[in-house]
Amino acid sequence: MSAADPRRAAQIVGWFFILLAYLLIALIFLTPMLWMIGSSLRPSPEVFQYIFPLSWRTFIPIQFTLHNFADIFGISEQGRALGFQFGRALLNTAFVSTAVVGSSLVVNTLAAYFFARLEFPYKNVLLVFVLGTFFVPQEATIVPLYIVVRQLGFADTYWALILPWYASPFVIFVLSQFFQEIPKELDEAAIIDGASLLGVLRHVIVPNARVGLLTVSLLEFQFIWNLFFWPLIATGQKELQVIQVAVATQITQREIAWGRIFAGGVVASLPVIFLFLALQRYFVEGVALSGLKG
Amino acid sequence: MASTTATPSASPSWWTYIQRRKTRNYIFAALFVLPAVVNFLIFRYIPIVWAARASTWQYSLLGGYRDWIGADHYLRALEDPILLKSLQVTFLYVIVKLPLEVALALALAIFTNQAIRGMGTIRTIVFTPVVMSMVVVSVVWALILNADSGLLNAFLRTLGLPKQVFLSNPKLSLPSVITATIWKDVGFSTILIVAGLKGIPRIFYEAAVMDGANRWHLFCHVTLPLLRRTLLFVIVTQTIFSFQVFIPVYSMTQGGPLDSTKVIVYYIYQLAFRFQDMGYAAAVSMILLLILLLISVTQMRFLRSDVEY
Repeated sequence: MSAADPRRAAQIVGWFFILLAYLLIALIFLTPMLWMIGSSLRPSPEVFQYIFPLSWRTFIPIQFTLHNFADIFGISEQGRALGFQFGRALLNTAFVSTAVVGSSLVVNTLAAYFFARLEFPYKNVLLVFVLGTFFVPQEATIVPLYIVVRQLGFADTYWALILPWYASPFVIFVLSQFFQEIPKELDEAAIIDGASLLGVLRHVIVPNARVGLLTVSLLEFQFIWNLFFWPLIATGQKELQVIQVAVATQITQREIAWGRIFAGGVVASLPVIFLFLALQRYFVEGVALSGLKG
Repeated sequence: MASTTATPSASPSWWTYIQRRKTRNYIFAALFVLPAVVNFLIFRYIPIVWAARASTWQYSLLGGYRDWIGADHYLRALEDPILLKSLQVTFLYVIVKLPLEVALALALAIFTNQAIRGMGTIRTIVFTPVVMSMVVVSVVWALILNADSGLLNAFLRTLGLPKQVFLSNPKLSLPSVITATIWKDVGFSTILIVAGLKGIPRIFYEAAVMDGANRWHLFCHVTLPLLRRTLLFVIVTQTIFSFQVFIPVYSMTQGGPLDSTKVIVYYIYQLAFRFQDMGYAAAVSMILLLILLLISVTQMRFLRSDVEY
């Protein structure tokens, strides 16, 4: 009895510290997001009014309003006057992201299949050519990329936002890792049954790599959705503005309206967050299987 | 007699048949990889060649090419105090951010990998900033760190501490940017390390426990060595990404105050689009490219010289 008590006490202390760490982590990561969401739903002056002292009022709107959202979508008088078109920007971003994911699924799957399965002279050299681009920092070559795109006549069009990203060294690498895990015997069985290479890809490889395809699509979608530097440079006209550029240009304006900035942040983040939450199960499985972990 | 003459002639035709088939297969195979190769050629390799070319010219977006000036841009780079400063800032950013992020990610991964209810939820929470955009995170953190009405200063005042001008104080601006980017990025490294932890066979722990190892021993002699590949992968990719930091500087500090956050990509952006000095921007881009290639090659060596388990 006397021996069991200190052990029980140590256990309780242990649980206490785990709970404390748990709450601290939740606090650090949730607070900025909750502040953003709460502040987007209240008039800007209220944000300043209740920031200090810290209380529930700092985070929960007293006077609930959707005015900030009406502004950034250009529905309200003021929003129209300021030329906000976040609706248009969201549609642009959704269109570009979907187009890139769609084309990249086809192009990268074909290329990954090539590297995982097909015979070709000097295939390793080709692999170095492909993976080498992974080490080319995009931010460093974005200026020359713009010149190339401009010379091709794509500057300031949707093509400029889609074409440079339809193939990805990262996706090809991850997918070919996935494809290599699939037993070759399945390919051979299909070929004996008279399947062509494309048939093998369609009926053996793709069905067996669904988790991998979903994972890379998700990563690619959020990558394109969140792109900022390239769209900022590649497109100038308002009609092509993507959501991230729309959010960022708010803070460089002379008068910074906090409520609208928060509303913009919510609108730009929620679609991707919901997508990840919905597909989280597959995504975690995908990362674990992909060899992404090294 | 007829059969003996037929055999040598049949052999070449059989050989060419195989060859032709092989060539046909190769051409067919090439079609699979062609679209990707074309993309990389046009949108990734040609820009590098172009940057190399433009770096030896006086060039601007509006004026086009003017004079060929050879290595002048590179000589100018050697004596450019702002470039030197921006390289220092970038290295400082990476050297501080990287170990902090990896250590935090390791701690978070081990913590959330415990078989306790609710750990999956906290992992999701830590991962959420990863899928948010850098723009949104920077913009929100700029307001959190705001001197007058920011959330962090409200917190400091509640604790009775003096208010800080985080983004306008040259001593605090870079740490502020680092804090915001770690907050955003740490979840990604955490997920990778969790995946690595789940890959360590339980039997190693059981064997070590039987040998009388305590928790610290387990961490140092089982977890860390077996996570080496994962950790190296995280470090290699995060190094490359960290060197390219741009958005938080663009939207939080614009490189200031006193160039204390002017990282190299932001300097390139300024040169190209603010100062219309495209040729010099291309030269600085080439320098950054070279530095990053050197770092990746060195790191890949480490990654390769590793053991499988």
